Amino acid sequence: MEILWSRGESNVRDVAERVDRPLAYTTVMTTLDRLFKKGLLDRRKAERAFIYAPRLSRQDWERQCAGELVAGLSGELLISCFLDNVGHDPALLDDLERKIKMKRKELEGRKL
Amino acid sequence: MTPSYLSRLLLLSSASFFVVLMFFAALVALIAPAAIRRASTLRPRRAARLLLSLRLLPAALAATVVTALCVPSYLRFEPLMTNEQAGLVSLTAAILGAAILGLAIYRGCSALLRSALYLRRSDGRESRVEGETVWIVPQGAGLALAGIWRPRLLISEGALAGLSSDQLAVALRHEHSHRVSRDNLKRLLIRLAPAVFPRLRTLEQEWVKHAEWAADDRATEGDGERSAALAAALVRVARLQSGMAMPELMTSLVAADEDLAQRVDRLLDAPTVAETPNRRFETIAFASAVLLIGGLALNLRLVHVLLENLLD
Repeated sequence: MEILWSRGESNVRDVAERVDRPLAYTTVMTTLDRLFKKGLLDRRKAERAFIYAPRLSRQDWERQCAGELVAGLSGELLISCFLDNVGHDPALLDDLERKIKMKRKELEGRKL
Repeated sequence: MTPSYLSRLLLLSSASFFVVLMFFAALVALIAPAAIRRASTLRPRRAARLLLSLRLLPAALAATVVTALCVPSYLRFEPLMTNEQAGLVSLTAAILGAAILGLAIYRGCSALLRSALYLRRSDGRESRVEGETVWIVPQGAGLALAGIWRPRLLISEGALAGLSSDQLAVALRHEHSHRVSRDNLKRLLIRLAPAVFPRLRTLEQEWVKHAEWAADDRATEGDGERSAALAAALVRVARLQSGMAMPELMTSLVAADEDLAQRVDRLLDAPTVAETPNRRFETIAFASAVLLIGGLALNLRLVHVLLENLLD
């Protein structure tokens, strides 16, 4: 995915040449085919080879991963989260920030 | 040992598990509101222990009664050859017992598996932050402790960049406190203990809240500056999370807002020191259970008669 994000549309050979470690052409081909079947890549045929392109931008992909992780957290995971990963009312957050600032001022006042 | 002898043992164990579980679960459900009220007057760590003990009690007692009383009494007194037939009630109880137990084991195993997969999928890199070994992960917006036996402290790149150094230090102390308390193992035990009445779930939710408060107390150790930093870290993480896409079916936002506000207010109002453990309640409960089960174990014949009545 990293290669396709940085390079854009690529065929199997392009990807195989840019992978960190030496991989067989068929391994890269199978991997790209699997990513296509999972809906992560688009592909079109050009001449006799497939050209692959990421279906999601890196940002969208990360957002989707985060969403999946959030969805995972809502299930039965054995995880202690610092804060439940749910949306919060911005007005409430503003209010809490005000309280924290006041508390900090109070603490600084005590120090002086 | 014949197949019919074994199948009767399984049926009897399952039916006894169901009966004992339902009896103690009903008892715990009955006293749950009072226990929650009592917990609200205790320091968070003690409150969390009380709530967790009550949540696990029915399943623990049911499992102990079956393994320490039912099985030995059956093996000792039940003749190998018998014409006794199981009654409809006992058969129903056995089926329900097996279903409840099976579901609980499935939930426990599934949670273990999902957590292991979550850790494998959270594609991160190991690093040292504020003296703690952490895994920095690209996705998400927060901190979490994941895993049971060797829990891994995960921190998202967003949180790492978004929190100031004092906020990060106290947030890591909070997660470290979850590690010391083995809270993820407790979560697994909760999954394995069937919640046959909704009030057992309420106990569980209350335990989660008090476990968080206890971790806050251990992280801040009554220090006002640290408490303010932890409160600020909570709000900062909440802000970071609000930029993320949320699945539609999530915990009620109102409840989440209330919990956050309550936690921040608590930190700002009265920084509290985590108290030293006092295990009086557990000791009394454990001693009572040992005495009761030990007493019955000395009279396995009586247990066998009771089981015969259950089976017929």
